[in-house]
Amino acid sequence: MSLVTRNVLIAFLITAVLAGTVAYAVNYLNNARVAEISTMADQLSIDTISLDTQFSLLSSAPCDSIASSTTFISNLSDLGNRLSYAEDQLGSDNPQVVRLKEQYSLLEIRDYILTKQLASACGIRPVTVLYFYSNAGDCSDCDKAGYALSYLRTTFPALRVYSFDYNLDLSALKTLIALDKVKGPLPAFIINGKRSYGFTSLADLEAQFPKGALATSTPSARTK
Amino acid sequence: MAFDALAYPFILLAIFFEAFVLVTFLSMPARSARKREPGEKTPSVAIIVPCWNEESTIAATCESLLALDYPADKLEIILVDDGSTDGTPAAMAPFAKYPQVRIIRKENGGKHTALNAGIAVTDAEFIGCLDADSFVEPDALREILPCFARKEVAAVTAAMTVHAPKGFIQHMQDAEYAFGVTIRHAMASINGLYVTPGPFSFYRRSILNELGEFRHGHQTEDMEMALRIQKAGYEIENAPRARVYTKSPETARKLIKQRTRWTSGFLRNVLGEYRGLLGNRRYGVLGLLILPLAVLSVGTSIVLFSYSLYAFARSAFIALQVRAGVPASYAFLPHGSFDWFYVPVDYLVFMGIVSLLASFALIVIGKRISKTPGRFGLGLISYTLLYGLIAPLWLMRATADVTIGRNRNWRG
Repeated sequence: MSLVTRNVLIAFLITAVLAGTVAYAVNYLNNARVAEISTMADQLSIDTISLDTQFSLLSSAPCDSIASSTTFISNLSDLGNRLSYAEDQLGSDNPQVVRLKEQYSLLEIRDYILTKQLASACGIRPVTVLYFYSNAGDCSDCDKAGYALSYLRTTFPALRVYSFDYNLDLSALKTLIALDKVKGPLPAFIINGKRSYGFTSLADLEAQFPKGALATSTPSARTK
Repeated sequence: MAFDALAYPFILLAIFFEAFVLVTFLSMPARSARKREPGEKTPSVAIIVPCWNEESTIAATCESLLALDYPADKLEIILVDDGSTDGTPAAMAPFAKYPQVRIIRKENGGKHTALNAGIAVTDAEFIGCLDADSFVEPDALREILPCFARKEVAAVTAAMTVHAPKGFIQHMQDAEYAFGVTIRHAMASINGLYVTPGPFSFYRRSILNELGEFRHGHQTEDMEMALRIQKAGYEIENAPRARVYTKSPETARKLIKQRTRWTSGFLRNVLGEYRGLLGNRRYGVLGLLILPLAVLSVGTSIVLFSYSLYAFARSAFIALQVRAGVPASYAFLPHGSFDWFYVPVDYLVFMGIVSLLASFALIVIGKRISKTPGRFGLGLISYTLLYGLIAPLWLMRATADVTIGRNRNWRG
C-alpha cells in the first residue's frame, strides 16, 4: 500500500471517528435535554397535584392562596417556554413533546379555572388571555401573535396567558374549545371572556384588553 | 433539511482534507523534509525580481536580497522593470552599484515576460523569482537549495507569510498564509503542489530549458508553470523554514480582486489546458485527490454560501416580521438570564467547530515549522470571523468570470 493510500485511509478513519464522536456528543446532549424535559414532566405532575390540593384548600380559605398562586404562574410560564423550545428542537410530532403538551395544557386549564374561582371568591380582577394557535401550517399569523403575547407577558408579569395548540388531541382542551365556542380562523384569543380572531398588530391586540388592564405591570392581584 | 443535505458532504470533505494534511504532515517524508539542514553548497543562483510600478517596495525587496547569506559571486539579482510608469526606475538605480545586481528595462508586457527577460540574461543553475513587494530572511536561500538534492525536483517553494500585518483583513490573511505553510509543506512531501508562488519560488534551470518559458497562464504564470512541471512528471518541493514575507491587500476589495485573479487563473488552467491532470492516476495524489478536491471546494463553497445567505435572509425577514410593532428594547435586546437548556445542539455546528479547531491546529503548525515570528491571536479571530464571509465572494466572482469568459485587469 502506498503512503498516500495509507494516509487517505487514515484520514477517512479520523473523519469517521470525529463524525461519530460528534454524533454521540450531540445525541448525549439531546438526551440530557430530554431528561430535563422528563423532569419537567415530573414537575408538571407535582404541580397538577398541588393545584388539586389548592382547589381543596380553597373551600376553607380561598383568598389566602392568592400569593402562592401568583408565584405558581411564573413557573407555568417558564415550563411553557422550555416546552416551546423543546418543540422547536425535537419537532412538534415528537411523542414526548406531545405528551408534555397535553400535560401542560391540562395544567393551564386547571390554573385558568382556579384563577376564575379566586377572582370570584376574592374579588380580584385578573386579566386572562386564552390563546389558541396551530402548528399545522394553517395559521400564518400565529408566530407573530405568540411573540406579541410573550412581550406582553414579560412586560406585564401579572397578565395570565394560556396558550393552547388548537389541534392537540386532549379531551379537556376540546371541551374548553367547545364551551368557549372557538372555531377559527386562528389565531384565536379569549381576553377576559371576550372572543376574537386573527392577529394584525400588537397595538390592535392591546386595544382588545380591558381599559387600564395593561397600564401597570402589577395590577392583577388587586383586592377589592 | 435541504441545507443539511448540502452542508454534510461539504463539512465532511473539509474535515477529511484537514485530517489528510495532518496525517501527511506526520508521515515520514514530511518529517524527513523538516530535518533537512541548510545547505553548504553554493551553486550559481539568479533571483529575478519582476517590477511594474513598485517604487514603494522595490528598495526594501532588493535590500533583503542583498542581505541573503550567500556568496555574492554566486548570486545574481536581476531587477526587471516591466515598463513602470512611476518612480520604480529611480528606486532601482541605487542598486546598480552592486556587482551582483543587474537592471533590465523593457516595454510593459506582463509579469511572465519580465521573468523570461531575466532568465534570458543568466546562465545560473537555479533561477528564483521574488515579487517586488516581498522580503526574504537572510537564510532563506540556504534553506531552499538542499531541496533540489534529487534530480527529479524541478522547483522549490518557500514559506510565505504576510509582511507586518495590520487590521483585520491582513491578520486574516496572515492566519491563512500560516495555514498555507502547513498545507504546502505536507503536500510537497507527496508531490501534491500545483502552484509555485511568486514570492521566492526557485526552478532548476535545466528543467526550465526543457519545459520552456513562462507563459501568461491566465494571469497566474506561477500556477501554469507548476502545472506544466507536474504534467512533465517532475516534482515540486517545499522548504518550510525559507521565510518570505509579502505585502498583502489591506482592504477586502483589493483582496477580492487579487483572489479573483488567482481563482479564475486556477479554474482556467485546471479546467482548460491541464484538464488531463484531473482524476488521472498518472499524476498521483495531485490528479486523484488534490486537484479534484480544489475544484470541488470552489463549487461547494459557493453553493453552501449562497444557500446560507438565502436561509439567513429568510430567517431575518421572518424574525423582523414576527417582531413588527413590538418595542425594539424587547425585540432586539437579550432578555432573561442565561440557561444551558436553550443552547442549540446541532450536529452541523459541532462539526463546523471541529473543522475550525483543525484549521487552528494547522495554522499553529504553520507558524511553528516556519518559525515565523509574531502573535496570531488576532489572526485566528479574524480568520474565524471573516474568512467564511469573504472567500465565497472571490470564488463566486472568479467562477462567474470563467463562466462568461470575462478577463479583468490585474491592477487598477
